[in-house]
Amino acid sequence: MSVADETGVTPAANRPRPRRWLARLGSGLLRFALLTLAGLLLAGIVHIVTVLRVPLLATRDAAAVYAALGMNGHAELVTPPPAGLPAMLDADPNSVAAVCSYDLAAGPLRVVARTGSLPLGLTVHRRGGGIAYAITDRAAIRGVLEFVLMTQEQLDERLANDEEGETARELRVVSPSPHGLVVARVVVRRAFDRGEAEALATGVACGLAD
Amino acid sequence: MRALPLAYVIALGAGLGLASAHYAVAERPWFGRAQIGAWTTWPKSGARDIDPYMRAYLARGVHLPLGAGEGLELVAEQDEGGRGLDARCRYRVSGATPPARGWSLGITDPAARPLALAVERTSFTDAEIVRGERGEMRIVLATTPEAGNWLPLPAGGRFQIRLRLYDAPISSHAGELRPDALPRIARIDCR
Repeated sequence: MSVADETGVTPAANRPRPRRWLARLGSGLLRFALLTLAGLLLAGIVHIVTVLRVPLLATRDAAAVYAALGMNGHAELVTPPPAGLPAMLDADPNSVAAVCSYDLAAGPLRVVARTGSLPLGLTVHRRGGGIAYAITDRAAIRGVLEFVLMTQEQLDERLANDEEGETARELRVVSPSPHGLVVARVVVRRAFDRGEAEALATGVACGLAD
Repeated sequence: MRALPLAYVIALGAGLGLASAHYAVAERPWFGRAQIGAWTTWPKSGARDIDPYMRAYLARGVHLPLGAGEGLELVAEQDEGGRGLDARCRYRVSGATPPARGWSLGITDPAARPLALAVERTSFTDAEIVRGERGEMRIVLATTPEAGNWLPLPAGGRFQIRLRLYDAPISSHAGELRPDALPRIARIDCR
């Protein structure tokens, strides 16, 4: 007869094997669940940081790809794009687009578009995707659509230099990034309108405001 | 032995986090989309307060979306019955479009690339279509020629219909559009 049989108490070493195995499995599973939870939390953080970092690290967005276009003071056609540059994705075959790349480090940019009979829209696309401003030819005054694009610091400086009580005679648009694209888009309502649409889009002037 | 749990947590976190981020922005994101009948749109894609997922998606390619005040793009991948658009079928796109200065309606492949067709016609504008007596729009999408406004389809495969509204007042609050304000996409028959 064993000691256990005599006292009625089973020492740990002599406990039945399945119960020890179950206890180990339970603690192992709990540990695994906690580690998985930590992994999922980390995954959430990595997911959010990655999505937020993509625009900052983008090298193939429209503003980066067309960075050399329109620096000569006039918008350049991207439908079709110049040789060697990729075409716009999701482009409407019934519209033409011309772009001016900008770098506001040199100063605010003045954008001037003459309107015609075809619908024209001007949009400011910031670096890394996203639109900072959009306007259509409905806002044109005597057939001219004009605005000055600047950074927040440049706007503050301009406001400080404005004459007291005098209304600014320019439409001031703040770009959230110093680099980006001004896009002129004209709708080609009929196939024979394409020439006129291209002339309107490429007729947009982008030059230093001062 | 402590390195193994740490490696597991890092591998799970980095792997799942990067993979899910890639999946979330590889195509137009689910976040921020508005479903109006058969049509899908992303009202904030051209707005200043664009959501981070759409911004990341746009940053990954040469995208120049319509601005919120400039217009609105709607995409349909299914008909009004919820069935995927199949080039072996004939479809009728009819009804009204929201007030806009102009619109275009075209077809692309599922990746938004232009379709290579024998007939050079992948879209119509509001100025190009023949209208009914009451001024309504009716476009038939089919592989074989149809009377009236005919958009040719390829011999087979999936496709998308894209409706672009230019200078449309609704573009800044597109989520409020009702299905009956947009063209209906009805399947006529299939081969």
